[in-house]
Amino acid sequence: MNKKQLSIVIVLVVVGIIVGIKMHSPTPDKAPMDVHMGRSKGNPQAKVKIIEYIDFQCPACAFGVDFLKKFFNDHPNDIYIQVHYFPLTNMHRHAMTSALYSECASRQGKFWELDDLMIAQQSQWAQLISPDPVFQSMATQVGMNMDQLNTCLASNEARQVINDEKSAGQSLGISSTPTYFINGKMVVGTKSLQDELKTYFPS
Amino acid sequence: MWFLIRLMIGGVFLAASWAKVLAPYQNFLYVVQAYQVLPSWAEVLVAQIFPWVELITGLFVFLGLWTPWALRAALTLFAVFIVVVGQALLRNLPLESCGCFGEWIHLKPQMVIALDSACFLLTFLLLRQIIQTKKFSLDSYFDRI
Repeated sequence: MNKKQLSIVIVLVVVGIIVGIKMHSPTPDKAPMDVHMGRSKGNPQAKVKIIEYIDFQCPACAFGVDFLKKFFNDHPNDIYIQVHYFPLTNMHRHAMTSALYSECASRQGKFWELDDLMIAQQSQWAQLISPDPVFQSMATQVGMNMDQLNTCLASNEARQVINDEKSAGQSLGISSTPTYFINGKMVVGTKSLQDELKTYFPS
Repeated sequence: MWFLIRLMIGGVFLAASWAKVLAPYQNFLYVVQAYQVLPSWAEVLVAQIFPWVELITGLFVFLGLWTPWALRAALTLFAVFIVVVGQALLRNLPLESCGCFGEWIHLKPQMVIALDSACFLLTFLLLRQIIQTKKFSLDSYFDRI
């Protein structure tokens, strides 16, 4: 075997190994659409179904949430949105705490109200050593039952839901937030989200 | 010593590319978009092709196959990284991490400039010492037969 032939063989073997590994990984097209009632809004029969994987402390996610909120208000019957947790705990110290409050709010049907407040005040609570007093105050403001909230926060159940959802996201190849699945197609970041939505809503 | 540096430079490219080629290209597209240097269509193209270029370059440098050409490719890639990350720093773009090693290692852009500059210099020296660099390489095997 000469040098050129060996080079081609090496490249083909490596490409083959990688393609083989990728073929056995779950694909983004298999993104889940199970019912997460408390964290879903819109028309379940809408032509555009969006799953967003977010970290409540991530600034890009806040931008994405604001954008989607406005977009949803402009197209209320054409979009279905479902939020999944993907706390980047190695980058954001309050990622898990904020996700826990959100999950507990979801169980009281207050997810979207708390989500609005958390995102609007993200830059403030992200700086705090402990954001709990701020989150507790937000929970009161949106009318949550505080006993139920504190029981939920103390239980392991909400944390388990968050960790399971993050693991599911990782198995789909998610590594950054915000990541969206629009009708099953994976897009990462708000710029790609905007570009993809333009294909459904050109005007 | 020179062949060890060659292995290290090849290893840097292999480590940087491995996670990126295995992950969905959309993750690297997000990184490319953060640097704000290309039009949208070119960002997608770069996100799909660039990790493979890194992988093949790293593999050839590591194995010492077509070594001078692989080193020139590595030199060009390091220069591109320095320029792209440098312009992001000059423009104060909000980069939390360079995104160069996928999700394996998070490096601040300032650290990336330092690492890439050191690698650029070492790669340049490898090219200058090409005979020693080819020690324990596939090139040296083919040169002998």
